[in-house]
Amino acid sequence: MADASSATRTSPRRRTSAGAWVVRAIVAVYLFLLVLWPTAVLFRGAFADGLGTITAAIADPDVVHALVLTGQTAVLAVAINLVFGLGVSLLLVRYDFFGKRVLSWLIDLPLSASPVVVGLALLLVYSPVYGWFGPGLREAGIEVAFAMPGIVMATCFVSLPLVVREVVPVLTELGDDQEQAARSLGAGGWQTFRRITLPGIRWALVYGLVLSLARSLGEFGAVKVVSGHVIGQTATATVAVESAYQNNNTEQAYAIAVLLVLATVLCLVVVAILHTRDAREKG
Amino acid sequence: MSIEVSQVSKRFGDFTALDDVSVSLPSGKLTALLGPSGGGKSTLLRIIAGLEHADAGTVRIEGTDATHLPPQRRNVGFVFQHYAVFRHMTVAKNVAFGLEIRRRSHAPWTAASRAERARIAERVDELLHLVHLDPFASRLPSQLSGGQRQRLALARALAVDPAVLLLDEPFGALDAKVRKELREWLRRLHDDVHVTTVFVTHDQEEALEVADEIVVINEGRIEQVGSPDQLYDSPANDFVMGFLGDVTTLGGRRVRPHDIELLTTPTRVDAVEGTISRVLRIGFEVRLTVLTDVGEVVTVELTRAQATGLGLREGATVFLAHDEPAHRRILQPV
Repeated sequence: MADASSATRTSPRRRTSAGAWVVRAIVAVYLFLLVLWPTAVLFRGAFADGLGTITAAIADPDVVHALVLTGQTAVLAVAINLVFGLGVSLLLVRYDFFGKRVLSWLIDLPLSASPVVVGLALLLVYSPVYGWFGPGLREAGIEVAFAMPGIVMATCFVSLPLVVREVVPVLTELGDDQEQAARSLGAGGWQTFRRITLPGIRWALVYGLVLSLARSLGEFGAVKVVSGHVIGQTATATVAVESAYQNNNTEQAYAIAVLLVLATVLCLVVVAILHTRDAREKG
Repeated sequence: MSIEVSQVSKRFGDFTALDDVSVSLPSGKLTALLGPSGGGKSTLLRIIAGLEHADAGTVRIEGTDATHLPPQRRNVGFVFQHYAVFRHMTVAKNVAFGLEIRRRSHAPWTAASRAERARIAERVDELLHLVHLDPFASRLPSQLSGGQRQRLALARALAVDPAVLLLDEPFGALDAKVRKELREWLRRLHDDVHVTTVFVTHDQEEALEVADEIVVINEGRIEQVGSPDQLYDSPANDFVMGFLGDVTTLGGRRVRPHDIELLTTPTRVDAVEGTISRVLRIGFEVRLTVLTDVGEVVTVELTRAQATGLGLREGATVFLAHDEPAHRRILQPV
C-alpha cells in the first residue's frame, strides 16, 4: 500500500500535453462552426418571439399535413425495414448462395448513391407518364410516383442499410452455435428464431431501427424528386421546410426545421440509452 | 446397438471428411471418437446429431432410421465445444429450454399449466443438483467459469432425456486442470445416468481414461474399434499404436518405451547392448535416450524410483530387452 502511494507521488498522473490542447481546440472550433452555431441560429429564429412561431406554423393545415405525412412515412418505412432488414441480415449471415456479395454490395448502395439519383431512378420505373410500370399501375388504380407509396419506397431505399449494417455484425458475432443447440433441444425454426436469435440481436435491431427512423424523418432528396412536392398533398416536412424558405416564409421554415431537429435528437437520446443498457447486459 | 452408422460419406468441396464409414456404437456405454484434428470425428458426430447431412449412407438411432430426420426430432442431446449456452437466459432457464419447448400448451391460468410449470421447475432443480450448479440457478452464463458453463450445457442436454448424448470435444476449451476434473466427473455421471454417450476427443489420455469403447478415426476412415486395453495392447496398425501412446523402435520392432526392460548386466541372452546418451526427468518419470551397438536410437521410460535404483547416468552401458505386453502383464501384475 505504501509502495503504491509513493509511486503515485513520484509519477503523477499523465498531464495533458500542449499538443492535446491544440487538437481539442481545433475539434471544438470545428464543431462550433459546423454544428453548434447553425443549430443555435435556427433555434433563435424559431423561438424569436417565444412559442409564437411554432404555434403559428402548427395552425397552418399544410404544415400539419406535411408533419403527419412525414410521421406516417417514417413509421411505415421503419416497419418495412424491420421485416426486410431482418430478412436480408439473416440471408447474408446464415446462408450461402450465388450472388451473396452482389447483394451485400447492393445493400450498401443507398449509403453511397445520392438520394436524388435514387428518386430519379424510382421515377423512371414508376412514373405514370413515362415509367416502365407506371402507366400500367395507374390503369390498375395504383398511384406510386407522386403519392405516398413512392415516398415510402424512396425512404425505405435510403434507410434500409442502417438496419442491415447494425444487425449483420452482431448476428455474425453471435454465431449459430446457440441456434444449433436450440435445434438439438427440440426447437423448430420459428421457435429458434423467436427464443434464441431475436433476443441475441434485439438491441442491434432496435438501434438500427431508431437510426433508420431518424434517417426517414430527415430524408429530402429522394422524396422531393419522387413526391412531386405538392404542398398540402405530397410535401413531407423536409420538403415543406425548403418550400417555405424559398417563399420567404422563413419563420415557418425555422419552426418545422426545429421540430425535425427535436425529433432527431429524441432518436439519438433513445439510441444512447439503448447503448448503455446493451453494454450493461453484456458486461 | 444404439447407433448404427452405415456407409456414411461426407465431402466438403474437395475435402473428404468421411469415406464410407460404418460403425456400431453400443447402448448405455461411454464411447470415444478419437483421432487427430481434421480426421472426420466431429463430422461423424454432427451427422449422428443431424446438424450435418451425409452425402451417402444411413444413420439409425435406437432402431429408427434417422438419416433424414431434422435434429429436433432425433431425441439426441448435443454438447458443443464452446458450450453454446443461451447467453440471454439464466442458468435455470437454459436447462428448462428443452422442456419448455416440449411443453404441451395450456392456457397460463389453468391448473394443468401450473402443474406443468411445477414439473419443469422440479426437473431443472434435479439437473442443476446433478451437475452441482444449484447455487447458480439465477445467474447469467457470463457469470460462470468455463467448467461451470460446460456443466450447464450438459445439464441442458440431459434435461430432455435424450436417447443419446453427444459431446463434441467437450473439454477442449478448458484448461488442463479443470479438464481432468471434468472428465472424471463425466465418468462418474455416466455411471449414475447410463445414457448412451458418444464424445469426440483428440486427446488419447482422455479417451483411455474415460471411455468404455474407443473408435479411432483418421483421414475419414475408421482405423480400429475396441476397448481401451485392446487398443493400447494390440493396436491394429502403426497409426493406432502411434496415436495411443509413445512409440520407439528396438530390434526393428515398434514398441512402447515403458515396455522395454532395462538391465545393467546382460542377464538375458536377447538383450541389446547400448549407451545412455541422454537422461531427461519429466515429473515422476525418467526418459532415457539409448544408442545401441547396432546403431538404433531407443527411447526408454522408467519411473524415478527405478532409475535411481539402477543408478543410471549419461554414458553408462545398459542392456535392453522387450517382451510382448501380454507376457509382461502376467509376469508383473500392475
